[in-house]
Amino acid sequence: MKKKTAVVGFGCAGYHAVKAMREHGYDGEIDVYTDSDWAPGNPMLTTYYIYGKIRKEGTMPFGAMEEIQKQFGFCVRREAVSRVLSEEKAVQTSDGRKEIYDQILISTGARAFVPPIPGADSENVFVMRTMDDAEQVKAALSTGKIKSAVVVGASMVGIKLVELFHANGIECTLADMAPYIFPVSAVPQIAADIEARLKEKGIRLVFSKALQAIENENGKLKVVFADGEAVPCDLVMMCIGTRANTQIADEKLAVNRGIVVDTSMRTNMPGIYSAGDCCEGNNIQTGQTQIIGIWDNAARQGETAGANMAGIKTVYPGNMLHNITHFMGMDFIGYGDVRSEGKEYTYENPEFGQKFVVREKDGVPVCMNFLDSYGASGVFKAYMIKRLEGSREPLSPVARVRMIREGVPEKVMDLLND
Amino acid sequence: MGKVIDLDIHKCSACGACAVACMDQNDLDVTAGVSPFRVVCDLEEKNGGFEYYSIACFHCEDAPCITACPCNCLSKDEETGFTIYDNTNCIGCHSCAMACPFGAPSYAADGKMIKCDGCVERVKCGLEPACVRNCPTGALTLLDEEEFKEVKVTRSLKKIMDMANE
Repeated sequence: MKKKTAVVGFGCAGYHAVKAMREHGYDGEIDVYTDSDWAPGNPMLTTYYIYGKIRKEGTMPFGAMEEIQKQFGFCVRREAVSRVLSEEKAVQTSDGRKEIYDQILISTGARAFVPPIPGADSENVFVMRTMDDAEQVKAALSTGKIKSAVVVGASMVGIKLVELFHANGIECTLADMAPYIFPVSAVPQIAADIEARLKEKGIRLVFSKALQAIENENGKLKVVFADGEAVPCDLVMMCIGTRANTQIADEKLAVNRGIVVDTSMRTNMPGIYSAGDCCEGNNIQTGQTQIIGIWDNAARQGETAGANMAGIKTVYPGNMLHNITHFMGMDFIGYGDVRSEGKEYTYENPEFGQKFVVREKDGVPVCMNFLDSYGASGVFKAYMIKRLEGSREPLSPVARVRMIREGVPEKVMDLLND
Repeated sequence: MGKVIDLDIHKCSACGACAVACMDQNDLDVTAGVSPFRVVCDLEEKNGGFEYYSIACFHCEDAPCITACPCNCLSKDEETGFTIYDNTNCIGCHSCAMACPFGAPSYAADGKMIKCDGCVERVKCGLEPACVRNCPTGALTLLDEEEFKEVKVTRSLKKIMDMANE
């Protein structure tokens, strides 16, 4: 009898899991549960879609759902899932029906977090995670009535919205409770440089202020902070962060901030796997499980889960925190845990306008921040991962050639080679 | 059968002919700030000697740029194994740059990713890539995967012999 697999949630991880299962010869049934009308796509693409840099088709990198379905052969169940019953290996839908499987992948992703403050549900207050969110903001902008906006949350999605509004001539304020921009990945001095550039472009920055309420007086919004300051605007974006969609996991599944998985993407319950932004995989820097919400990470986790579900023993060793964000003509590049302790070194390449901050401990970079050096960003990443994994090899000639070409100061290379 | 563009560093002098040929073949406007796909460089060794390099995309078998691209712009050419691209939907996010351990992705003046595609169209027509065709010392060669494996074994053996003779 053929096996039966459920994939609950169909974003990047779910897609790659199904693809890997078929590529590894799994010929059983696959039921894909999704409550979205959209084919898998990166939430980051939403702002580019509003901007007009890509068309709707471009937000579906693997094609429309029907095309993917044809390619890999699976059944789409457009039903809301209320629970994954891990011991029974069952999927329970919101209408109470229950279906038993041989194995289940939970790849439900994450959702935008909205704090429970008064006025958060007002008209022209939005989040940015799904294509539905993108369509709503696009519609609001198309009215021509939005002249000012407040982006709450100096996050990666927050800055992309600032970029979008700035390009559309909308007066923009970026606010956060943290004292500086990109608080979860930037070191203060790199953040200060970015902030100076943003101010120069006319972006108003409001930091170290807790959001208290959004007031709505006849359609005119006012973002009110705990210290009493209020910023009037026509539109508010809530970019405070995301939360993993773990609510369908039953009480037997180990869940912290995300569903806890091992390097094979197995949960603590037999036959139940998890991958993508809803799960905590291995952080190779800390050795702890952590949500690392990056497209590439979700893809690797999905591939690994899919291979294992097809019976091919596969391990994904994990990842470290890292990101590259290109906005308003600049690049912020961060690696490792910004809370890590170590000795910090700062270098600049004034000719290229680049800055490099490297924090290292015992010869291992534990946190690096670069401004405007994207050309060698992958070379640094690969090198840092090798060091975190225990290698003490110096930079390869190829790495050095690339770094020289991209303007990386000799002192940075010397430091890494120590 | 997959193809490999191989560099024999003992024959390379970093003369730059490959880089110029690549710019010409791909119409790269480096004066507009576009990075060339092929980079040449000499590295000074600790003993004062020099090594010469000509570096471009390595066309990795499990190319990390392909998975990292949120727009699915990159793929493998089945016939040659080269990592090719269609940047119609490229958003210029630089995720491919962050994924590549060799810094291969470049960006055009419009911000979209461009890169070495191994001169895939030339190769499919039985021609050599422009860089190989123009390398005056024979340092760059186009090999079949099997030939490349043999070359690697020969080089490793030579290295061991050289070390033994030192």
